[in-house]
Amino acid sequence: MEASGATVARRDTTLLARARDLFSRYALILVLALLPLGYAADDLAGGHGLSRIATNLFEGLSNGAIWALIALGYTLVYGIIELINFAHGDVFMIGSFVSFGLWGTLGLTLATGPLGLVGGLLVTLIVAMVVCGTLNTMIERVAYRPLRNAPKLAPLITAVGFSFILENVGQLWLGGSQQGVPDLIHSQSELLNVLGVSVKRADVLALVATPPLVLALTTFISRSRLGKAMRATAQDPEAARLMGINVDTTISVTFLLGGMLAGAAGLIYALYETGIRFDQGFEAGLIAFTAAVMGGIGNLRGAVLGGLIIGCIQQVSDNRIGGEWTPAIVFAYLVLIMVLRPQGLLGEETREAG
Amino acid sequence: MRVLRWSMLAIGGLAIVFGLAACGKSSKKKSAGASKAVSGTSLTIYSSLPLQGASGPQSQAIVNGAKLAVSGVGGKVDKYSIKYSSLDDSTAAAGKADDATVGANARKAVSDSSTIAYLGEYNSGATKISLPILNKASIAQVSPSNTYVGLTTNKPGSEAGEPGKYYPAGTRTYARVVPTDIIQGAAIAAAAKADGCKSLHIWNTQTTYSSGLARNLSAAAKKIGMKVEGNDGIDPKAPNYRSLAASVHSDCFAFTGEIESNGVQAVKDVGTSHPNIKLYGGDGVVTNEFASTSKGLPASVGARFKGTIATLDPAKFAPAGKKFFKDYEKTYRTRNPDPYAIYGFESMALLLDSVKRAAASGTVTRAAVAKALLSTKDRNSVLGTYSIDKNGDTTLTDYGLYKVVRGKLKFDKVIKATK
Repeated sequence: MEASGATVARRDTTLLARARDLFSRYALILVLALLPLGYAADDLAGGHGLSRIATNLFEGLSNGAIWALIALGYTLVYGIIELINFAHGDVFMIGSFVSFGLWGTLGLTLATGPLGLVGGLLVTLIVAMVVCGTLNTMIERVAYRPLRNAPKLAPLITAVGFSFILENVGQLWLGGSQQGVPDLIHSQSELLNVLGVSVKRADVLALVATPPLVLALTTFISRSRLGKAMRATAQDPEAARLMGINVDTTISVTFLLGGMLAGAAGLIYALYETGIRFDQGFEAGLIAFTAAVMGGIGNLRGAVLGGLIIGCIQQVSDNRIGGEWTPAIVFAYLVLIMVLRPQGLLGEETREAG
Repeated sequence: MRVLRWSMLAIGGLAIVFGLAACGKSSKKKSAGASKAVSGTSLTIYSSLPLQGASGPQSQAIVNGAKLAVSGVGGKVDKYSIKYSSLDDSTAAAGKADDATVGANARKAVSDSSTIAYLGEYNSGATKISLPILNKASIAQVSPSNTYVGLTTNKPGSEAGEPGKYYPAGTRTYARVVPTDIIQGAAIAAAAKADGCKSLHIWNTQTTYSSGLARNLSAAAKKIGMKVEGNDGIDPKAPNYRSLAASVHSDCFAFTGEIESNGVQAVKDVGTSHPNIKLYGGDGVVTNEFASTSKGLPASVGARFKGTIATLDPAKFAPAGKKFFKDYEKTYRTRNPDPYAIYGFESMALLLDSVKRAAASGTVTRAAVAKALLSTKDRNSVLGTYSIDKNGDTTLTDYGLYKVVRGKLKFDKVIKATK
């Protein structure tokens, strides 16, 4: 009797858990689709077709692709040492500044021919990635490694400190106001128009440049020895150490990869926005960190998904509701997602989450 | 026990009496500080401006102008030597005026017994903070750039409770040398109308200055028959405004925000999204940096931009104004002084003149200088002849319309807008 009672109870619990999971999943889909579906219905009712909402979502995806690259850096670091690297957004800003500086050195201007431009931008991409990767690794070595066994608040404070240092460096470098950069790719020129959706060069740049970088990163992490070491360290650093993995080197490589992605994002951002600013990393960092949490902290695919979703929410809100409401709407979405699915859209991949 | 209770009551009573007496004494001391004659012959005039961030170049031009005014009188007014102390109201992290720093600067001036006057702030929102602090101490304050209506009057564009809440002492101590946004709003609307605009979309950055000017511009545009299609507050920290720009459908667009509130990006995004739209802005963006193709608007967007600022064509200034530009260029070795330089000079010159008039009428006190400031009549200045009215506003009404030509601001014409 007792055994059958326990079985019924277990079945009830399983059913309840499944129902809760189904509810959280579908309610979440409903929440995410609420804004675009509502406006799509509104457009159709007004006889305007779907091109406007499609444009909003397409621009959102291109904007979100940049957030995704930055979000990957946050999620990589959090996944491995459970630290919110507040300086990451500012490393991204340095990536933009280095790129801009290098264009001057290489002589890239609006008059540069297509071949020279592609070559120059490739060199810029490599240099920006190397500089930002090295910078991020150096920050880890100086500000985080000595505090590996300190209370969690200590590296958090040094991260904030480094964020301010980099912002100051940026301000001394190019001044306090926005620095216009040459629109090398004629970012707002329309390349083609698909069913009323205008595809601009800036959108193509973000959408074409991001996937290979994400793919390279995921392949490196899933296939390479160092990538496996990173995953092992993320799961259990002590066990990884006992298995002969050099945990310090693995963590440094993680920072290197995160910094390299931030450098690439910095270059893409400069080309996309045609303007850079010393404090651009603060706002971008906040958005990217939100994207990482939304997708499930520590989860690489989650960070990309979170970035793309935030990009879409921003564009829909900017275009339909008003720019002053956008930050509130983005964070309202984050709250709803966290309430319905505390582990984020694709689930956390941290030691705490198991 | 009863003795103890009575003793406690007596001590309590005495404490209350002494406490009240001390309070009375301290409030007396405050008013005495305002009306007490200055001891010694050294007076300090502080300025508080955002020397860092996007407004840094304009602020530096104001400081340079103020220094020129002090050196113009040989650093002396009557028997008093004048010390000019420039304070920064911005922080490196914010890149613009910081509320806490603005307050700290004002309190520093109040606590310095040699302080006689204050030059600042650059931003109207910052003046909202420093003005009540300085007003309590009866310190005369002149702003070289504030245009927000509510600082001096409750006319359209102001908010509830203004301007009374900025003057806790009950007397006026603040003046400005630029016309208010009632005039600037009308000037932008008049410029747009003259260019053939039929409809206008306005963006503001939700600051005191920006939303105030947007309200004034909206009212002025409607008054002269233009359709106002929107007055949206934008997020100054947004990376771009492309989607927001797609919702602009008017033939003309006005940005009433500041350069430090992402002004370049906002105007650039509207300009590139709508290749034929005419673009307008207020004195928050009409700066050399905004016009520059390297730091500001791309040439294709800049060519469609026009903006208002109280500074008129340097060539059309009276001899005093022309002499200022000549001296400025010679002293600071620049061929293109920022439009705000002359306002820095005139703000300081007005304060020095107020000290001079206070000295001529008897003793020099903070209150006497503030009173002299507010009774300025028909002053012959580098800006022309003007008076300060009872609210602290200048009687000057002309705005200069500037356009951007090859990355530089170029004076277009004077706009004589009515209030």
